[in-house]
Amino acid sequence: MEALALSLVNAVPPLAGVPLWAVTLLLMVATAAVVLVFALTFEGVGSLVLRKVAGDIQARIGPNRVGPKGILQFLADGVKLVLKEDIIPANADRLLFKLAPYFVFVGSFAAFVVVPFGVGLIAADLNIGIYYVMAVTSLVVIGVLLAGWASNNKWALLGGMRAAAQIVSYEIPVGMALIPAVLIAGSLSLQDIVRSQGGLLGIFGWNLFHNPFTFFSFFLYFTAAQAETNQTPFDLPEAESELVSGYNVEYSGIRFGLFFLAEFGDMFIVAALSTACFLGGWNVPFFHVGTLPWIWGNLLSLGVFLAKAFTMVLIMMWVRWTLPRLRVDQLMRMAWKYLVPLTFVNLLGVSLWLLVFKGKGIPGMIASLFG
Amino acid sequence: MGLKAYLNDIVEAVVTTAKGMRITARYGVDPKEEVTLQYPEERWEIPTGYRGFLHNDILKCTACTMCVKVCPVDCISLESVRGADKKMVLASYDINIGRCMYCGLCVEVCPPKSLKHTAGYELASTTRGELILHFISEAAAEVKARVARQVAEAAAKAEEAAKAAEAAKPPDLSSDLSSEAARAAKEEAAKAGGDDPKAANLPSEASNVAKEGAEAPKAAPEKKE
Repeated sequence: MEALALSLVNAVPPLAGVPLWAVTLLLMVATAAVVLVFALTFEGVGSLVLRKVAGDIQARIGPNRVGPKGILQFLADGVKLVLKEDIIPANADRLLFKLAPYFVFVGSFAAFVVVPFGVGLIAADLNIGIYYVMAVTSLVVIGVLLAGWASNNKWALLGGMRAAAQIVSYEIPVGMALIPAVLIAGSLSLQDIVRSQGGLLGIFGWNLFHNPFTFFSFFLYFTAAQAETNQTPFDLPEAESELVSGYNVEYSGIRFGLFFLAEFGDMFIVAALSTACFLGGWNVPFFHVGTLPWIWGNLLSLGVFLAKAFTMVLIMMWVRWTLPRLRVDQLMRMAWKYLVPLTFVNLLGVSLWLLVFKGKGIPGMIASLFG
Repeated sequence: MGLKAYLNDIVEAVVTTAKGMRITARYGVDPKEEVTLQYPEERWEIPTGYRGFLHNDILKCTACTMCVKVCPVDCISLESVRGADKKMVLASYDINIGRCMYCGLCVEVCPPKSLKHTAGYELASTTRGELILHFISEAAAEVKARVARQVAEAAAKAEEAAKAAEAAKPPDLSSDLSSEAARAAKEEAAKAGGDDPKAANLPSEASNVAKEGAEAPKAAPEKKE
C-alpha cells in the first residue's frame, strides 16, 4: 500500500507536499470503502437472488412487488431494517448485546480484504492470506456466542452454543481441505495460489483437476465451508423451527441487519475461497492476463473471478434450498467421523502425490507427454 | 461400524444429495412449475355450482320466509306485508353476508328459485354493518306505508263498488248487513263482467288489511332478528 502511495505521489505533483503516511492512510480508507461497498452490494443483491432462487426451486415466484420484477426488494429490505426500532431486552447484557453484531460483521467483512478479485485487485495481498481468512472468520464464533449469551434468552443461548460447537468443529475440515491448494502453490498468499493455477493448461491448470485428491478436496471444502458459515443444511444455530431464530432472536433493526449481512458475506467468502483455491481464481483460460494493459487485464480478471464466485454462490443457494436440516448429533458425526478423517486422508494423498510426482498434476503430466 | 458401512454411508450421502439437487434444479429451471396465482391481477376460474355470495332476485321472491327459517346461522331477515292483490310484498330483504356460512340450504329450499349463489367472494369493510346486503333500496317503513296506501285505495274502491251495487239493488233487501252487501256486490260485479274484479275481491278482508297496515309499520307480519 505504501508503494502504491509513493507511486501516486510521484504521478500527481500537487500531492508532493502531503506526508506519505497521510496518502497511504487515505488510500487504505478508500480501498476499504470500495471493498465495503462491494460487500454490501453483494449482500443486498445476494438476498434478492436467494429469495428468487428459493421461489424458483419451490415452484413459487418470489418477491415481485418492489420495482420491476421485484429487483428493488433488497433496497426495501435494507430501508426497513435501518428504520426499525432497535430493541434491547430489559435483562440483556447491554454492552455485550451491542458488541456482538460488530464481531460477527467484522469477522465476515475482514475476510474480504484478502479476496483476490483480479490480477492487481486485492485490498491487501497478505503472505498468510488463507491463514488470515481462517483466523478472522473464527471471530464470528465469538460474536454469535456473545449474541446468544447477552440476549438472556434460552433460544438465543442454545443457538449460540450450537454455533460455537459447529463452527469450531468445521474449522478443522475447512482448513485441512484448503491445505492441498497451499501445498501445490507453496504459498499461503491467495494471489500466489491463484497464479499457480494459471498457465497454458486452461481449466485443467486448476487445482480442481490437479490430481484426484484435490478434486475430492474441493467438495470436502465446499461441504465443510457451508457448515462453517451456517448455510441451510447446517443452519442449526438459527434453526427457526427449533430455536425460533437462534442466536439473533432478540435482535432487531440494524443490529439484526448486521447479522444478516455477515451471513451473506460469509457466503461470498466461501465462494471466493473455493474459486481462488480450486477453480483457478481470476485466471482466464488459455490466456495470460498479465500481458494486457493494467486496466483491461484487471477488468477481465475481475469479470472471470466474479463469474466463478457468483456461480459458486448460486450452487450454495441451490444446496441450501434442496437439503433439509441435519440434527445436532448428525452434524457433529458428519464433522468428526466423516469430514475430518476424509480431509486428513486427502491431505496425506495430496502430499504423497506431490512428493512422488515432483509437484506435477495429471494434466501437467499429460501435457508433458506431448511436449 | 465397519469400513464397508462407512464407505456406504458416504456414497449414499453423495448420491441422495445429487438426486435431491437434480429435482430442485428441474423445478428451478422449468418456469412452468410455478403454481402461484398472482391474485389481484390473476384470478382463478370459478367452478360451476360455486357457493359465493347470495343474491335474491326480488322480482321473483314471494316472501315465503323459507330461507329465513332454514338458515342455520340466522343471517337472512325479511319483512313483508300483504299487498292489495293479497300477495306478500317484501318490505326489506337483508342478508348478513358476514355471518353467512355458505351452506346453501336457503338456495336449495327457495320455492321460486329467486335466491341464488353468485360467483362473488370478495368483500372487505371496516365495519360489520357494511357486510349486510340490502336487496331493497327503499326503507321498510316507506314500502309498508305505500302498500298500506294501495290497500286502502283498493278497499275504498271496493267499498264504492259495493255501494254502487247496493244502490243498483232494490232497497227492500237488508242493507245493514255489510257481509250480505259485500256478497251482493261481488255477485253484481261478476254479473257486470269486469267492472273492477280486483277491487271487488272480498272488500271486508281488504279493509281489514288496510287497517292493519295503516295502524303501525312495526306490526310486520314476518320479522326476524
